[in-house]
Amino acid sequence: MQGKNIYKPLLFKLNKVETESPLIKTFFMTPEIPFDFKTGQFVEVTVDGVGEAPYTPSSSAWVKDKMEITIMKAGYVTQKMHELKGGKVLGIRGPFGRGYPLEKFHGKDVIILGGGVGIAPLRCLLLTMLQEEDKFKKIHICFGAKTPSDFIYKDWFKDLAAHKRVELLRTVDKADGDWKETEGVVTVLLDKLQVDFKEAVAVVCGPPIMMKFGTLRLLELGVQEENVYLSMEKNMSCGLGKCGHCAMGDYFVCKDGPVFTYNEIKNHPNIWM
Amino acid sequence: MVKIKKTRLKDFIDFVQQEYDVFAPTEVGKKTAFKKIDSAFEIIHDIVNTDRSPKEVFFPQSEVLFEYGKDGLKTPERKEKPIAVWGLRHCDTSSLTMLNKVFSDAHQMPDKDMFKDPYWKEKYDNSLIFNQACNTPLSTCFCHWFGRGPFDKTSSDIFVVDVDDVFLLEGISEKGKAFLAKYEKAEQATKEDEAKITELKRKAESFLAEKTDISELFEKIGKLWDEPIWEEISGKCVNCGACTFVCSTCHCFDVSDEGKKGKGKRIRLWDSCMFQLFTKEASGHNPRGISTQRVRQRFMHKYNYFMDNYGVHLCTGCGRCVQVCPVNLDVRELIKKVLDYKIS
Repeated sequence: MQGKNIYKPLLFKLNKVETESPLIKTFFMTPEIPFDFKTGQFVEVTVDGVGEAPYTPSSSAWVKDKMEITIMKAGYVTQKMHELKGGKVLGIRGPFGRGYPLEKFHGKDVIILGGGVGIAPLRCLLLTMLQEEDKFKKIHICFGAKTPSDFIYKDWFKDLAAHKRVELLRTVDKADGDWKETEGVVTVLLDKLQVDFKEAVAVVCGPPIMMKFGTLRLLELGVQEENVYLSMEKNMSCGLGKCGHCAMGDYFVCKDGPVFTYNEIKNHPNIWM
Repeated sequence: MVKIKKTRLKDFIDFVQQEYDVFAPTEVGKKTAFKKIDSAFEIIHDIVNTDRSPKEVFFPQSEVLFEYGKDGLKTPERKEKPIAVWGLRHCDTSSLTMLNKVFSDAHQMPDKDMFKDPYWKEKYDNSLIFNQACNTPLSTCFCHWFGRGPFDKTSSDIFVVDVDDVFLLEGISEKGKAFLAKYEKAEQATKEDEAKITELKRKAESFLAEKTDISELFEKIGKLWDEPIWEEISGKCVNCGACTFVCSTCHCFDVSDEGKKGKGKRIRLWDSCMFQLFTKEASGHNPRGISTQRVRQRFMHKYNYFMDNYGVHLCTGCGRCVQVCPVNLDVRELIKKVLDYKIS
């Protein structure tokens, strides 16, 4: 074998699994050697005898000796993942792709727009940013979910709201009796922000339809195209720009993304598909 | 340039086999493909395009990446000799150089080693490529559209011409020249022998159908993404994927696991952008859920995106896709349609 084997995973011990919602669990792991990644990058997780699938960590990029990944039961590998218990050994390849260029966010208002399970990778971004909270002017979090019970990380939101540079706004598509926050699609939260949009940076992560309308509203409000960061989701397989699954025009989302600025991809046809 | 009598080819192949495993066009069931041969007698010489493309020599349809079990991960060690490929026509030789860009070119990425595929490189980097002049191109061939031709010598180690009762061999790369120099039994080719090449080349080129000027193809196809032409082109396509499997440059694959809990292997398998599941995400969302989108992706990748990324069309004009398509879609007709298309 010449050079290093780019397909060979590192081993991670699964310590425990926590249930976030009926379909979402968080997996707490310890890598065999410290694992370095940038927030926004993704990894391929292997369940032996089952296969591998791409996820973004949901724990801070500052922490190298532990990792958390929040996974929604959606396909074959995730279903098998959900059956796992602590003690199991998993394989992890990566990290892959480009993450968020946090140095470009310094001194600015940062708007973080997330929906559904898209909040999981944004937790990684937020935890990483909050480690150096004072470097950012203010962090405006706008999160949406279908119903109040679909919000994951319930305890974490209390911590978040306590940070002095954090403004936390949440909305649900359909409220129930106890919900005292906003009701409506996630873009309605943007209209509540008191921000100089022309100078702000924005991060969008969630289902395609939410990303589309979220981005368009941000642009309308005045956020510059090169300051809108989109975390694109595709069916990534090799992570190395070779296997073809995540091709988006002449980009491979796995190696050229998954984080793109709107400016970089706006001329690519149908980026919201 | 040296020559080897056809009756003495076995001796030469035996010589190559001292150092290399030799792959050559041969019969595999009812089909023809590049397979490892034991003796020169297995080689089929008059075949122009094997049914299966030679990409499988370096990029097998199914390849074990590693095995795992109680002892952890084990990468299979390659114990075989390096690979020599005999009988490649220039279309196939050039397809390997395109695949090499994908599997070993870092393509503007900062951590270059991260993008080098060790399984491909171990085989391809140590190989010896015999590129044989194509004396009788088929009616489905269109290598000349891409500026190449049946007697093109580039991208190979040794150029071979089948002339009457001899093979003429010319070292092209340093590696090829050095290898030929070691074979002492070859005779020097004469001026008369070399003169015959010119005549054979002229004759071979006369077999080629009319050339279409594709210099505008890259730019033109790049403007057609939103045009209804794709519905017209994909109308007949049944998304069987045959074109992608026989294609010498298609290289999409899937990484998959076989085995039970605790013991198994990871394999890499050819996949196809023609299949609906190829892009389907776990959430159920599918960016290329309908046939038209997939056909467009394949053509855009071949004649626009790959050019953007690597400066060459991802097509050699070998014509295998034209031969196998069950609904008679002819890529040459599709290219002409694109070039003639009036943007609405």
